[in-house]
Parts: sequence; structure tokens; C-alpha cells
Amino acid sequence: MKRSEKFRQANREAKATVLATVAVIAFWWVAGFGLADVDVSYLHTPLWVWGGCLGTWIFAILVTLYLTRCVFVDFDLDDEEDTK
Amino acid sequence: MSSFINLLPVLAFLVLMLGISVYVQKASADDRQKNFAKDYFIGGRTLGGFVLAMTTAATYSSVSTFVGGPGMAWIIGYGWLYMAIVQVVVIFLVLGVFGKKIALIARKIDAVTVIDVLRARYKSNFLANFAAIVIVGFFCATMVAQFVGAAKLFEAVTGYSYLTGLSLFGLIVVFYTTIGGFKGVAITDSFCAIAMILGMCLLFGAMMETGGGFDNIMKHISTNHPDMLEPLSRGKMPMSLYISQWMLVGICTLALPQSVVRGISFKNTQALHRAIVIGTVVIGAMTLVATVIGVLSKGILTGDLASYGGSVDNITPLTIVKSMGPFWAGVTIIGPIAATISTVSSLLLAASSSIIKDVYMNHLASQGKELTNESVRKLSLAATVILGLAVYMIAITPPSVIWIINMFAFGGLQTAFFWVLIFGLFWYKANKNGAIAAMVGGVLVYCGSMAMKIKVLDLHQIVIGIGLSLLFFLIGNSFGETVDDETLEIFFPEKFDK
Repeated sequence: MKRSEKFRQANREAKATVLATVAVIAFWWVAGFGLADVDVSYLHTPLWVWGGCLGTWIFAILVTLYLTRCVFVDFDLDDEEDTK
Repeated sequence: MSSFINLLPVLAFLVLMLGISVYVQKASADDRQKNFAKDYFIGGRTLGGFVLAMTTAATYSSVSTFVGGPGMAWIIGYGWLYMAIVQVVVIFLVLGVFGKKIALIARKIDAVTVIDVLRARYKSNFLANFAAIVIVGFFCATMVAQFVGAAKLFEAVTGYSYLTGLSLFGLIVVFYTTIGGFKGVAITDSFCAIAMILGMCLLFGAMMETGGGFDNIMKHISTNHPDMLEPLSRGKMPMSLYISQWMLVGICTLALPQSVVRGISFKNTQALHRAIVIGTVVIGAMTLVATVIGVLSKGILTGDLASYGGSVDNITPLTIVKSMGPFWAGVTIIGPIAATISTVSSLLLAASSSIIKDVYMNHLASQGKELTNESVRKLSLAATVILGLAVYMIAITPPSVIWIINMFAFGGLQTAFFWVLIFGLFWYKANKNGAIAAMVGGVLVYCGSMAMKIKVLDLHQIVIGIGLSLLFFLIGNSFGETVDDETLEIFFPEKFDK
């Protein structure tokens, strides 16, 4: 991969990371505030706690798995001979 | 209460940290012979995924993750946990946005610090020196605050005096950071991260026994404190606080230099990808367990705050003492102490690298002088140990100004570096006038609004700092010229692709 292509890829990955952050914020909102009025509890703990706290953590892990498997690309960080 | 048995676990852990650093120093002797600064300040860019994840997470989570945070959760309830969980984004955000780009650039220009990268990008010694002052000043205040928090906790749990605790882990962390360098810090951080999680799990288990199980404690809370089960906690947790925290401990942590520097340190892209996943698992687990402990301690400490000394910082130590015997209490406080020393070690090394590498060596270079590898070694070790000892001594009787600086530190660092790093790496038209305006103006406005308690829409001052810093950048930028093509080709080779 040429150096310029690596930078293009790094830019793409940075954008994807920002989108991933927005996705986590959206999930956090829906699974927490969104469920706050639902009258369901497990172990005397309301559903929004499970969704907004535990759920957000699990969702964030899934997001990083998606990013690193499907969006991020491996390349050599040092300059290769074919750079220019 | 004061017996040797509850001192023993912490002592054993600290000796282990020392042993690791001695080993790292021996193992890196050859590399340090060749290029001391590169090995000492950045670990020769050899970190693997697991260690990168652990050191980033351990540096980020501090004594307040285990003391102040759970104490607030004891008052607020699950709303505090819901707010704290925003921290799951911090590891993947900094590594995903900056990781690869800064790694590519650092290799090209042989950078060792974040300031090296900024200096090369903006070609401004003023910017670099100002950044170094910001880093050293804010880091030192943070280190003192960390020491004080941990020493108070140590005193409350073990019964040994404040000074004994402070001297024990304070002197050991300074010593092991000095000899171990970045690689030593990274590896000891990994052990610290594991100790934090284990310590919290132990405490969680002991609390379950004391309080009669999770369901039983929750039944007590839902009957007596129904407000703790609502996200807004009947007004104690307003929406503006959620938004503020998303900024302050979530999104804006992107630019904390102690996190960004980890982008220079990893071995390859595979390590980075692994660290992004592992780091997110670890930081989430730490935040969840530590803060849930705070909520559940409501079922163990059932009095009002005044009966616990009137400070939320007493909640964690009292929960430990009430749930465990002296030996296991001694094992458990390894967790918060590990959180403290892992934060201090990274900040100490970053501060000494700023003094030696960013300011002193650069000043010499501008006069055409260059240090030999041996002088770099001596100076770097001396700077680290002297700075560390100074922080230790200030922590013995901290002057009130330290608390003021510490309160400004976290957001001040974010304001100083946020736009300068983002635009520097992602916008080729960003120039030094914009960067200087954003950093200097942003820090001044942020600290000023903090000091005068000025708020917009009841949001934390970080919103003012980051917002105006952006404005300053754009205004300053219109008065400068884009940096030369040679520099642009290093930072934005994609623009030169024909």
C-alpha cells in the first residue's frame, strides 16, 4: 500500500470511529432514557439500568468488533520501498 | 486496626511493580544504549495489543473512579452509573481517530512525544513550549491530587498514617517509573488494570455477603430510596449534567495528551485493533463494577452522609472496612492504589519528556548543540526522579492552589489540545496562528470561566472552552499561511497523489 493510500484509509477509519461514537450515544439514549418509563424490573433493578448501563457497554464492544473486523485495515506502519 | 497484615498485600504488589521495572530496565539496556529517548519515553514503539489496551485504560481510570465516583453513586443512585458509562467510548475514540495517523507520522519524523508532532506540523516553538507548560503544570497538579486521594483512602482502610501510605506508594511509583521508562510504565499499568478489576470483584463479592445478596440490597434501595432508580434521580441528576459529562469525560478526552501519546507507542496495526476491543471491554468493566459498588453500598451504609464524616470520599473506604476483614481489605485497596500509581506513572513520564525532550533538547538544537546519548540518559532519569519527588513532597501538605489547578487540569488539557490535534492531523489548511489562538485563548477562556463560575445553559465550562477555542482557531487561521509543501507531504500525502 502506498503511503498516501494508508493516509486515506486512516481518514476513513477516523470518520468511522466518529460515526461509531454517535451510534453509541444514540444507543445509550434509547436504551436508558427511552426505557426509563417502562415498568419492568429484574432483580429489583429497572429495565433502563440494564439497557442503558450494561447494554451500552455490550453495544460498545460489538461496535469495536465491527470496526476492527469490517472497517479497519491492516498495513505496515513503516515506509515501504514502493512509497514513491 | 493498624496491623501489619493489611499492609502486606499492598507492599507485595508494589514490590512486584518494582521488580517488573528493574527487569524492563535490564532487558532494554541494549535499546537504550542506541537511542535512549526513543526507548525511555515511548518504549521503542513495540507495544502489543493487550499492553496498549491496559495501559491506556489504566492511565485513564484514576483514584476517583474508585473513590469519588462510587461515593457520588451512593447519593445519586443508578443515574450516576448511567452517566459514568459514557466512558466506554474513550478508548476506541482516541485510538480509532488518532492511532494510525499519529503512528504513521511519528515514524516518519521520528517523534517521541505529542509535542514533537505538533512542532513538526505547525512549525512553532512558541506553540510547543506553551503546550509543554500546560502539560507539566496540569499533570503535576493532577498527580498531587491522585496521591492525596489514595493516601487518604489508605489511611481510612489500613489505619496507617497518611504519610506512611503516601511515602510507601508515592516513593515506589516515582522510583519504578524512573527506572522502567515507558515500557515499564506500560507493563506495570497492565498489572494495575488487572488488580483494579480483581480488587473491585472481591469487594463486590464481600458486599453481597454482608448485604444479603444483590436482590436483597436492591429491594432495600427500591423501598427506601426509589429516587436512586430513576435516571434523573428526582432532580439530583439534571439533563445538563449528562450532556456536560458526555463532553468532559467522553468526547473531549479524545485529545488528552497522555492518551494520544499511546498512539506513538504501538507495534503494528494488529496491536491497535486488538487494543481497541480489549480496551473497551476493560474500561467498561472497571466503570460498571466500581460504580455499581457505589450504588449497592447504600444497602451497607444505611445512615446519612453526616454520619459518615460528611464527605462522599469516605463511602468507599467505609464500605471496604464494613464488608471485609483486615487482610482482604488490604488486598482490595490494591485496586484503587493501582489506579493511582498507573495514572501517576504515565503523567510523570509524559511531564519529564516534555521538559527534557520538548523544551531542553529542542532549545539546545536551536543553538546547534546536540546531547550525547549518555547525557540524554542522565538528564531524563534526573528529570523524572526530581519531578516525582517534588510531587511527593507537595502531596505531604498540599497548598490550596493545587486544588484549584487540579480542578482546571482535566478540561484545561482537553481545551488546549482538542482542535490543535484534530485540525493539525485532519485539515491541511490549519496553520500556526490558528493553533496558537486556539490553545492559548482556549485555556485562558476555560480557566477564566471556571474561576468565575460562568456557565452557558447550565452546562460545564468545557463547553465554553471547546466552543470558543474552535472560534479562536478559525479566526487565527485566517491570518496565517498554510505550512510549506514539505511538511504537508508528511502529514497529508494523499493531497499530493496525482
